[in-house]
Amino acid sequence: MAQNQSSLRSISDLRNSQPRFCGLESGHRACQGCGEALAARLVMESAGPDVMVANATGCLEVFTTAWPQSSWQVPWIHSLFENAPAIASGMEAAMKAKGKNTKVLAFGGDGSTYDIGFQALSGMLERHHNILYICYDNEAYMNTGVQRSSSTPHAASTTTSPSGKERMGKRHLKKDMLSIIAAHHIPYAASASVAYPADLQRKVRYAMGIEGPTFLVVHSPCPLGWRHESSKTIEVGRRAVECGLFPLVELERGSVANVMPIRNRRPVTDYLEMQGRFGHLFKADDPRAVEERDHLQALADYNVATYGLDGAVADPMDTKGAAKVRRGGGEL
Amino acid sequence: MTQLTRGAFALPGTSLDFKTGNWRSGEVPSHIHAKAPCHNACPAGEDQQAWLAHMQQGHAEAAWRELVSANPLPAITGRVCPHPCETACNRATTDGALAIHNIERWLGDEAIKHGWKYPVATPEADAPSVAIIGAGPAGLSAAWHCLRHELRPVIFEALPQAGGLLRSAIPATRLPRDVLNAELGRLLALEGITLNLSTRLGRDVTVDELRREHAAVILSPGCQAAWEWEVGGAVPSDLHEGLQLLKEFMDHGAFPEAKQVVVHGGGNTAIDICRLLKRAGAEKVTLVTASALPGPGVDPSDLINVVPRELDEALEEGIEIIEHATINRLIMRGSKATGVEIASLKKLKGTDGRRHRVTFEGTERVINVDMVVPCIGERVDPEGLETLLHGKAYFKPDSDSGKLGKANIYALGDARGDRGTVAAAIGDGRAAVASIVANLAGKGEPPADSRPVLPAELLNTAYFDTSQRTQAPKLPVSERGFDTEIEGDIGRAAAMAEAARCMSCGDCLACDNCWTMCPDSAVLKIQELAMDGSHYVFDLDYCKGCGICAAECPSGFIQMTAEA
Repeated sequence: MAQNQSSLRSISDLRNSQPRFCGLESGHRACQGCGEALAARLVMESAGPDVMVANATGCLEVFTTAWPQSSWQVPWIHSLFENAPAIASGMEAAMKAKGKNTKVLAFGGDGSTYDIGFQALSGMLERHHNILYICYDNEAYMNTGVQRSSSTPHAASTTTSPSGKERMGKRHLKKDMLSIIAAHHIPYAASASVAYPADLQRKVRYAMGIEGPTFLVVHSPCPLGWRHESSKTIEVGRRAVECGLFPLVELERGSVANVMPIRNRRPVTDYLEMQGRFGHLFKADDPRAVEERDHLQALADYNVATYGLDGAVADPMDTKGAAKVRRGGGEL
Repeated sequence: MTQLTRGAFALPGTSLDFKTGNWRSGEVPSHIHAKAPCHNACPAGEDQQAWLAHMQQGHAEAAWRELVSANPLPAITGRVCPHPCETACNRATTDGALAIHNIERWLGDEAIKHGWKYPVATPEADAPSVAIIGAGPAGLSAAWHCLRHELRPVIFEALPQAGGLLRSAIPATRLPRDVLNAELGRLLALEGITLNLSTRLGRDVTVDELRREHAAVILSPGCQAAWEWEVGGAVPSDLHEGLQLLKEFMDHGAFPEAKQVVVHGGGNTAIDICRLLKRAGAEKVTLVTASALPGPGVDPSDLINVVPRELDEALEEGIEIIEHATINRLIMRGSKATGVEIASLKKLKGTDGRRHRVTFEGTERVINVDMVVPCIGERVDPEGLETLLHGKAYFKPDSDSGKLGKANIYALGDARGDRGTVAAAIGDGRAAVASIVANLAGKGEPPADSRPVLPAELLNTAYFDTSQRTQAPKLPVSERGFDTEIEGDIGRAAAMAEAARCMSCGDCLACDNCWTMCPDSAVLKIQELAMDGSHYVFDLDYCKGCGICAAECPSGFIQMTAEA
């Protein structure tokens, strides 16, 4: 275990002197290469330390709080699958009553956000609570064994939308959550991806500065449920953005305020072929596979046209520019 | 110890007690400082990646100091080297290899302009001395590395000026004489180097004398004797061998008159002669070479061994090149050649597994000429070296360091017969002195660098913006003469921008990707350097071995390796 260790300081000293706020500690039980664990850590870094969290049921809740331990370094509450926004609303009201400025965050997966806790979320937004809601979108109920949610993309195979003779994976479309959120006319709603950490953290910091309800959906690849190698979490997320299937956009008061342009667009197959959940789309001699691949390409093209994602020229905020590195740092 | 709490409650951050490192199955991330391919390909032993890293931090002088730790003559090699570093560059697989030679040249010129001090101390007066025969690139490099290792180099040069082949065989259009004189002058002015000019081996000194007086003897005499050339017994009376012709031209500034010339050979001397003859007024200059011109699918071992841009410039200037051909026969009128019969030829593997030159019957054709110039190489002038050459044309040392047998005698550079570039000669100087130092300390030969080379597949190019390779300014064909340099300077801004294109193969960029993207916070950042030279440490107590850090490392510095 002594590999690479600094001779000057012990490893626990090092851990305690990292130049970033660690709101979500190591020792959590997320799978190898978990996109959601990474997303939550990145969010806590930019949001903390003066925050408290209401967490819906889901992977994040389970893997960070195996009793009697917790990975959280901030006040954190879990109640039910469907009521994180309601709990957060109460926490925010309590802080207000006590005259404190502590920001309340509400966390949920796509299951609790798109499906089970949806009406509580809508109420929270409508009541205009000062809360940042973050949805970690891994596109299925991963905690309970990969059941389809309304966020599962079209044609993805899950245990409850299996591919086979009858169907090519999920029959329905991924719910356009951001448009529904935008219809609440809230100050700020945005999508982000773990593949673009600097962009994700900028959006968190921006939302933290807003008084009122804000919403962020973070694309968080799941190696287990999407069936890709654990080392490819970032690559898969990057390709989702680069092909146009997961557009990174920012909405203010319901209007598109900013998008991440795609400089060199990839075909959707570059994204799909990395994942077992889309494996049936690459079966030879199945005309349905071709049709569904074309369908997904058409959906990506639709996103690109709707949000104007085609970036013809080099732009520091585009898919390449936003994640460029140079010696001694990542940000521009 | 795990503290049990009341139900539905836990103390903050207590999951740190749970060491997820035992989830790893097989592979663990490791920092591996693999060799950058440029470094691996450099005959002089430069680590281009290392000095480009200094450039990326805006430290040109530090870059130059790193560069000269291997090669003391960057202003020269930046101009004359065929830069195998650029051929090997991993960026060639995406948007074009780095223009390393242009940056090297700029650094060399800056050092001359600003008088940057060579990073070396004067050796003690009683330090061991090393005798060096010949003040060409190999000898000068050996002298420099002697200084770096606190030895006193004593150089013996037969000619009245130092520089060897740099002065006698490289035209001023490639290597202006003021640059050559400035860089050699700076090097030779270093305290501790003794230079004896006009001192000929065999006449003024002998190897035996030198062995008695010095701790080691380095032989870098170059190749001063021409091979005799004939084709089927015919030798034109006015035959001009290539290197000799070039030397005469450098001394007198004129060629024998000829309208149609065929040059036979496949090296830089052949190309230089073609271009100079053309500029001197020859109507038609044809190069006949047994090698291949660059193109898709060409076997690198079959490729013509010249500086690539020199070849492009030659074609631009109207030199005709016939590849895969040889001279079969000279057509003589009396004792003068009036034509050459050429035939197609290829170097093919025979049944014995070795390459042979196979001439193809039925491909013979005739070119009319006034002059034919063979550039078929030279051999070591045996004067004073008879006992060491054993009648052979070149030295064949037993080890890479150039050591001949057990004695402290080393043979370097062109005199070894298989070198052929200034960079290789400079590398020989470095290796020989490293061996001398190890031997003087009572150790064996210094160990070779066994690190692996970083393949392009291990880079993550998603993190590098596409950018165009810098194009150096060039003199238009109509303005090319005999004195003005053809390739120009790229300047500070372009040199810095070009250096920024380096993808840092195998070396940590300190970009923070691993630290930012670890889902388990198992990468820790430190301000001081870790033992492996990076700013990051893996906390294997928590690393689950997912491999994200390795996949997202832009420079391939993190690799997944089998767990110990």
